[in-house]
Formats: sequence, C-alpha cells, structure tokens
Amino acid sequence: MKKIHIVAIIMIILAIGVLFMASNDIATYSSFSEAVASGKKVKVAGQLIKEKEMYYNPEKDPNYFSFYLRDVEGLEKKVVLLGAKPQDFELSEQVVLTGKINGEDFVASEMLLKCPSKYKDEEEFLMIQEG
Amino acid sequence: MKEIQYIGEHLIFGQIGHFLIVLAFVASLFSAISYFMATQKRNTNQFTTWRAMGRLGFVVHGISIMTAIAIIFHIMLNKYYEYSYVFQHVSEDLPFKYIFSAFWEGQEGSFLLWMFWHIILGVILIFSAKKWESPVLFCIAGIQFFIGTMILGLHFGDLKIGSSPMVLFRDTAALPLFAKEDYVLQLAQFADGLNPLLQNYWMTIHPPTLFLGFASTIVPFSYAVAGLWTKDHKEWLSPALKWALFSGFILGTGILMGGAWAYEALSFGGYWAWDPVENTSLVPWLIMIAGVHTNLISKSTGYSIKTTYLFYLLSFILIVYSTTLTRSGVLGDTSVHAFTEMGLENQLLIFILACVFGSIFMMIKGFPSVPYPEKEETFFSKEFWMFTGSLVLLFSSILITFTTSIPVYNKVASLFNYDLGLTSPLEPITHYNKYQLWIAVFIGLLSGVGQYLRYREFNIKGRAKKIWIHVGVCSVLAIALSYLTTLWIEVNAWQHLLMMFFAYFTIFANLDVLLTFTKWNKHQLPSFLAHAGFGIMVIGILASGLNQKHISTNPFAQRGLLPDDMLGKNVLLIKDSPMHINGYKVTYTGDSIVDNMRYFKVNYQKIDKMGNTYEEFNLTPNALYNSKFTKIAAYNPSTKRYLTKDIFSHIAGLPPGESDIEEAKAKEDSLNYRMIDIRIGEELLFKDTLQITPDSAYVKVFKAVVTEINKDPEHEEYKKEAGDLALGLKMKISFIEKPEEIYEVEPMIVVRSSLIYHYPAQINEIALKIKLTEKTLSEVFKTETELGYQNFDFTREQSINFNGYKITFEGFDKETKHPDYIEEEGDIAVSAVMRVEKDGFDGSAKPVYLIRDNSPFNLKDQIQEEGFHFRFTKIDPSTGKISMSIAQQAPAKDFQFAVAANSYRSDYIVLEAIEFPGINLFWIGTIMMMLGFLVALLLRSSKKVA
Repeated sequence: MKKIHIVAIIMIILAIGVLFMASNDIATYSSFSEAVASGKKVKVAGQLIKEKEMYYNPEKDPNYFSFYLRDVEGLEKKVVLLGAKPQDFELSEQVVLTGKINGEDFVASEMLLKCPSKYKDEEEFLMIQEG
Repeated sequence: MKEIQYIGEHLIFGQIGHFLIVLAFVASLFSAISYFMATQKRNTNQFTTWRAMGRLGFVVHGISIMTAIAIIFHIMLNKYYEYSYVFQHVSEDLPFKYIFSAFWEGQEGSFLLWMFWHIILGVILIFSAKKWESPVLFCIAGIQFFIGTMILGLHFGDLKIGSSPMVLFRDTAALPLFAKEDYVLQLAQFADGLNPLLQNYWMTIHPPTLFLGFASTIVPFSYAVAGLWTKDHKEWLSPALKWALFSGFILGTGILMGGAWAYEALSFGGYWAWDPVENTSLVPWLIMIAGVHTNLISKSTGYSIKTTYLFYLLSFILIVYSTTLTRSGVLGDTSVHAFTEMGLENQLLIFILACVFGSIFMMIKGFPSVPYPEKEETFFSKEFWMFTGSLVLLFSSILITFTTSIPVYNKVASLFNYDLGLTSPLEPITHYNKYQLWIAVFIGLLSGVGQYLRYREFNIKGRAKKIWIHVGVCSVLAIALSYLTTLWIEVNAWQHLLMMFFAYFTIFANLDVLLTFTKWNKHQLPSFLAHAGFGIMVIGILASGLNQKHISTNPFAQRGLLPDDMLGKNVLLIKDSPMHINGYKVTYTGDSIVDNMRYFKVNYQKIDKMGNTYEEFNLTPNALYNSKFTKIAAYNPSTKRYLTKDIFSHIAGLPPGESDIEEAKAKEDSLNYRMIDIRIGEELLFKDTLQITPDSAYVKVFKAVVTEINKDPEHEEYKKEAGDLALGLKMKISFIEKPEEIYEVEPMIVVRSSLIYHYPAQINEIALKIKLTEKTLSEVFKTETELGYQNFDFTREQSINFNGYKITFEGFDKETKHPDYIEEEGDIAVSAVMRVEKDGFDGSAKPVYLIRDNSPFNLKDQIQEEGFHFRFTKIDPSTGKISMSIAQQAPAKDFQFAVAANSYRSDYIVLEAIEFPGINLFWIGTIMMMLGFLVALLLRSSKKVA
C-alpha cells in the first residue's frame, strides 16, 4: 500500500471521528419548559409578543433589555437580554435565543432576529394603499 | 374588463430588456451546443465551423447581457419606478455614486453581475485558450445557460422560471393604485431605495470583487472538464494553475473585503463570525488553494493529477452550493445576511445537481486514462508534504461545510415529512474555532517543514542533517517568540500555545528557506509570502480573538452571579460626564450632523495609576438616519488604530426619542404636563410626585423664578425668519434638595404664519421639561382689539397727556421707513412723528398713513419699552390735522409654563468599545497571502509557457 493511501485512510478515519464529535455540538431547538427542566444553556425559538412590555431603560442599566416571547408550545416567558435593545426590534417576529433559565426569566446571551425588513416598506406601502 | 391606458410608463425598455435576456439565454445554449460539437469533432474538418458557431453564440450572448445590464442602469438612473427592480432598489434621494450598489443589491442584479464576469472571462479565454477554447467555452456557455434561467422570468401556466429584472411593478401585485392611469407619478414617494446599511463604498467594491472571485472558479473547473474530456491530462495543468492562482487571489481578496467591511463599517464587532454566508465563500477558496498545491505537484512530478481534477471541479461546485444556500432562503434561521426566498429553489437544485453529476460523469470517463509515475513518492519528498497539506485543507472544508449545512439537513428531512429541528451550535464561534485551530497547527507544521524538502526526493540522507538543524533552530526561535508573545497577550490554553508555536515556526522556516536555501530566488517569493503571511495571520487571530477586551464594561454594574459572557458590554455615557472604565476616562462631549449621519464625539483619555492623562484621542461613532430623518437605520463604528491594537467603538443605543420620531412622539405624549402660573420676579415652588411603587411615592420640590422676557430669543434648533413672533422666558430652576445647583433655562415659543412652535427646555440633571404655554404668548402679544385704542386729533406741535405721558405730534416725515412698508408705484405715504416723554423717558414712533389704489391704509408703530401702540388713521390735507389711535399695553406680568417632571433624558449614548490587540497582524498576514498569489501569477504569466 502506498503511503499516500495510508495518509488518506488515516485522514478519513480522523474525519469520521471529528465529524462525529462535531455533531455533538449541533443543537436542537428547545421549548421554555425544556429549558426549565434542563437548567442548561439552550436555544429557544419563538414569537415576539408585541402587545407586552418591552423594557429598556439605559439610564438604569444599558445592559438590560426585557420582552416577552411565546415559544413553539405556546408558553409565554419574560426574556432578559443582557445587552442593548437592538434597532428595529419591534419589527421582528421570529426570535431565536441562546441562553438559560435564571429564576423566573430566560436570560439570553445571544439573540437572532428574523425581521421582514426587506419587505417592510412594501407592507407599509400596501397599507397606505388600502387605507 | 376594460384595459387601462397607463400614462407615463416607459415600456419599451422592459420589452427590449426582456427580449435580450431571452436572446442571451438561447444564445448561450446555442453556443454550448456548438462548442460541444466543436470539441467532439476537434480532429475533423467540421471543427472550425462548429467553433465559429460557438463563438458567434457566445458573442451574441455577451452583447445581449451587456446591453440588458445597460438598459437596467438606464431605467435605474432615470428612475422609472414602474419597474419593480427600480422601485425596490432606487429612491429619489439615492446619490448617483450608489447606483452600482443598488444594481447588485438585488438577486437579479447579482446574477447579472456574476454573468457579466463570466462573459469577460469567456472572451479572454476565446482569445487566449487556443486548443482548450472549445471544451472550456462549452462549460462557460453551459453554466451561463443555467444562470440565465434564474433571470428569465418566463411563466408556463403555474411554472415560473426565474425572476426577471425587467418585470413591471404593476404585474407583481394587485394594488388599488394601479387602477389609476397615472399611478407612475405616485410611485416615487414610496420607492425603497438602497438599504442605508449598504450605502457605503464597501458596497461598491466588495460585491464586484467577490463575484469576480466566484466567477473565476469556473475557469479551473472548465479546464478540468476539458482535460478529462480530451484525455490530455498534462497539458491543461499549466493554464489551469494560472487561473487557479488568479482565482485564489481575487476570491481571497473578495472574502477579505467582506471581513474588512464587517469590521470597519458595520457594528458586527469583528472581521469573521463563521456566518454561513462567510463560510460558504471561504470553503471554495480553501479547495481552490488545495487545488493549487496539487496542481504544483502534478506539474513538477506527475503525481496528484486526479486530486487536482477533483479539487478544481469541487471548488466551482461549492460556489454553486454557496449560491444555492444563500439564495434559496434555507439559511434564513442561521445567517444574518442571506437573501429571502424567491422561488428559485428548484432551479438552483437542478443547477447544482447538473454540476455534480456532470463532474462525476467526467471523472468516471476520464480517470482511467490519467497517468501516474510508477515509483511511489517518498515520505521526505516535497510532494508528500504538500499533498498532505491539501488534504488538511479539504478536511477543514469538510468540517466547515458539515456544520454550515445543518439547515440543509432539516430541509432534506422535511422533504420526507420528517422534522429534525436541528440548528447551528449554541456557541458557533467556539465550535468552529476548536476544530479549525488544528487545521492551523497542521498547516503551520506542513508548510514550514515542507519548504526544506525537494520534489521527487529519493535520497534525503545527504541533506537530512542540514534540514534537521534548520528545523531545530526555527523551532527554538518559534518557542522564544511564542514566549515573548505571551508577555504581550494572554494565551492560556495549550492548544492555542501550540497553534502559536507552529505559526511562528512556519514564519521562520519560510524566511529561512527564502534567505539561506534559495538565496532570494524570486520563485520562492510567492510561497514565502503566502505561508509566512498565513503564520502572521494566525498570530493576529490569536491576539485579536483571544484578547479582545471590552473597554465598555462598567465594573460597578456587574451582576456578580453571572458568567463572563453575560456581563454587560455597554456603558451609558451622559454628555459631559466622564466615566472611568478599564483604564480610560471616557467622555461623550457632543454630536453633530452631516447629511444623514449623526456623529457622536467621544473623548478617550488614558489614565495612569497616578490619575494623570498620558494619552488622549477622540472617536466619532455615528448613527445613520433614514432619508426622511425619522428613524435610525444603522449605527456605524469608529476605530482608533494603533500599530499594536485597535480601539473599536460603536453606538449600541440612543435615548428613545433620538432614534425614532414616532417613539419621540409617544414619549412626549406620555409626559404629564402641569400648568403653572408665575409672575415676573416671583419665586415659586412646585411639586412633583413620583410614584415608586403603588404604595409609596416620592415628592420632589422645585423652585422657579422668571427673570426676564426675551423677545429676541435664541435656540439651537430655531432659525429666525422675518415675520416670526418669538418669545423666550429666562428662568432659573432649582431642585430644592440641591439649592446650590441653579439651572438657567429659556424655553421658547414662536408664532410663524399662524402656527405655534414650542422649543421646550430640558433639564436632564433633574429630569424636568419646561415649555411655555399659549397663555404666556397672548399675555405678551395682545391682540389689537384687546389693546383698547383711544382716538385723538392732533395738529402739528400739539401735545396731549396720556396715562401721565406727554405725547407730541412733531410733524410729518416724508421718508417713510416703516419696516413693514414696501413701496409701490402710485403710493401716497406719510409718517407722523409722535414723541412720547415722561420723566427719564423719551422716545418716538413713526406710524404710517398710506393711500394705495385710492384706499387708505395705516401701518402701526410701537414703542416696545413702554408698551405704546400708534395707529395713524386719518389726515386732513387742507388743515394738516391728523387722527391718531393710541393704546398703552400694561407690561406683561402673568406668565404660564407647563412642566413635566420625570421627563426622559436626551443627552446620553449607550456605547460599546472593544480593544482588539494585534489586529494589524491579521491584516498584514492576509494581505501577504494575497500578494503571494498575485506574485505567483505575475511570475508565471511573464514566463513564456511552452
């Protein structure tokens, strides 16, 4: 057998091993109840509840922003983001959070917003037209 | 239904444009088929005919696409909003310089940009590829055919093929507006324009570079296909290598520009975030680099030809994969900058499957005839180490793609009605870094040691000792430098130390080989630049990544129970109040507006242990407002650059009222104003009750004094105009618990063409907002009827007594100089000089009597100080007797102001500031790598290839 083949085989075995390890990092979405049960850092996706309070008062604490999220199971929970309120947060619909339960609240360290920003103006436009 | 005859549309451009796109599509197919036949019949006399047809097809294709692009620019520049693409990407206020950015902002435009580069490359290849022209151009024309389907915009029943940039807005949506025949005129005000985030020069240079990079991968791909097809497995290697170097250079530069944009102009807080969109353009580059290495091996030794084929085919396929991921909407959940779904998924899928199966087919057909040397390469040959390095790059690509493709697994599972619900790792950056650091370790090792070795080395013995000594010295140097580096930056994990060691090792080894082994041979230069650059880049990544430090954490506000990543990253800076954070004294000193940008000046002073400032600089992070100035569209950072580190800062938030006009209004509406009556000179106390909890309240007492009425007040937002009635009240306000702090304010009210404007005074320190009421206005500016004029008749030099004043009619002044009087022809105007005297006071007024068009008018005059109003109402020319209406207004004393306590501060910013040490190493390293490709390309191009 050629050395190159040996190297290739070692690489393949290594690759399978590492990919197997890497796959452990792949996360699945959790619900709030699972987050409570596990107490670990999880990813939660849900809908922003626009009717409920979104609190950000930088004069008190520039790293505290809270809002309410409804997860896939329909459970509502107060979410605390330890950071500034993102620009145009109100326009978001789907929110993906990384964080964990702390007391009653879900404390998020990362947040990804899905906002229909691309078509936002068009919606406005349609509203103007219909109104 | 009656057809509406629309007016103001420019349909001809759309019709021509659409025709050209279809023509280009057909021509690319024609060209591909002809070139296919030309390749098949390359050894017959039909060859030249087929090739001529192929060329013709490609030229028609190229001209059509170029003209279509020109037409799109034409309709964009002329702002024909009836076209959907124009409506979505252009707006009235879009500066000309951003028209290119607007063009490639959308999917259709970026497809056209990609095709544009393919055409340019194709034309160059028609002239330069010689015997390779037919198979190479077959590939390019074929790929153009597939990309062409994306912009076709043809409908067959329910089947929609592609999305055309020429589509009319009224064909995309059924809006009531389209019932009007002149709807076009109304579109301008709604046009979206270019996303303000993208309105900077990076958007002008990054996409075309990146797309040229994407497009360039087609050339090595096509040469690989050509080699497999013609079974001429050796000769294609030379031209392919040059194009692969070109691709490595341009694609790498394009990716880097993206990183530089993210770092410099966007508030991403870094140059690389392992975002899927970034990853999927990095991976084809890595594979291209792997291909360059195996290509070098195969040119020098004859080994690795198959792997070279594989890498070049794979690189382009991965570009198509990247396109599919970013444009199909699959990434939606995991990436910040993917396109939205446009119904192109199936077409993209067919495209990539065609590339994959086409490549597999070619390899099956071609591989059996690939030659390879009888003798096996030895362990200490250069080719062995280079080949292993290529496999490491492949390995890196597999790992990155594995995680980036998570959304794809979900998508595939969902096709089988199975919901996997997988998502990217909780800590994506940690995840990628922990595997990729091993890649860096191996690359460092292989690229360092590999330099000392020779191709086709079958007898290392004679050189072994020398090499061991050199490797040993480089290792010692690397250990020493690694140690010194740990004095500068914190590197704790052993994996990172190892990574740093090998980075230094490859830097020294490459330098050593360049200087001592090859004695400055210019052909060693590209390799040196690329590999030493890689090492320097790795050090830069370690320094800036591991040691990036938030300056903006307030040590006093930390919630001690939380882990590190949950500590606050932002600080609140109140205007002119310095804050001491992490060795800096940071002060927000003010803001200024230039166009749509609002710049916030932040002063940084470095403080030593004694409390002395030894270094000072200003940064001006800014907020970009939308075109109507009602809302902030984006925050842009500002960075202080040192040789050894960067201080990066951006605005994380502004007071609600400053970032959004609607919020400002909501805040103003939520304020609870109370009316307070006050007299001039009077000291008045007023209270405010602050509800803390439902059961407890806190009563604040304030003191107010009005010191002066100002009829010529000034305010930074007020620009005086003729005819304004402006009033300011000078007041002194204090909070009773801190009586020594007196705030002198001057709220203002202005009447301009019968509208009232308020200029309130905001006292941030005690959260008070004060505005004047209309009662104050009417108190100071009484209406004519309220004044109570009395009539008097005067003869010249006659005096009367009025309220204790002596008023004398001193005579006429023919030179009428009344401020409100504008002379017209035929006017008969005269002013009376009225003198008013009282002990110590002596003043005069000149009211005007005027006959214009046979009608009498009068223009009043006043003596402001004593409140006198004069109206010259009648004149008897025969006797010289006049009638004068006189009123004296009592000085205004009773004022009213409205006060809102607990008003919102408007004088602060929320700032994030990060220190990136060693970031310049990253840029230097990456630029060196790119130079490596460029120099290699230039050296190989200058050499006359046999």
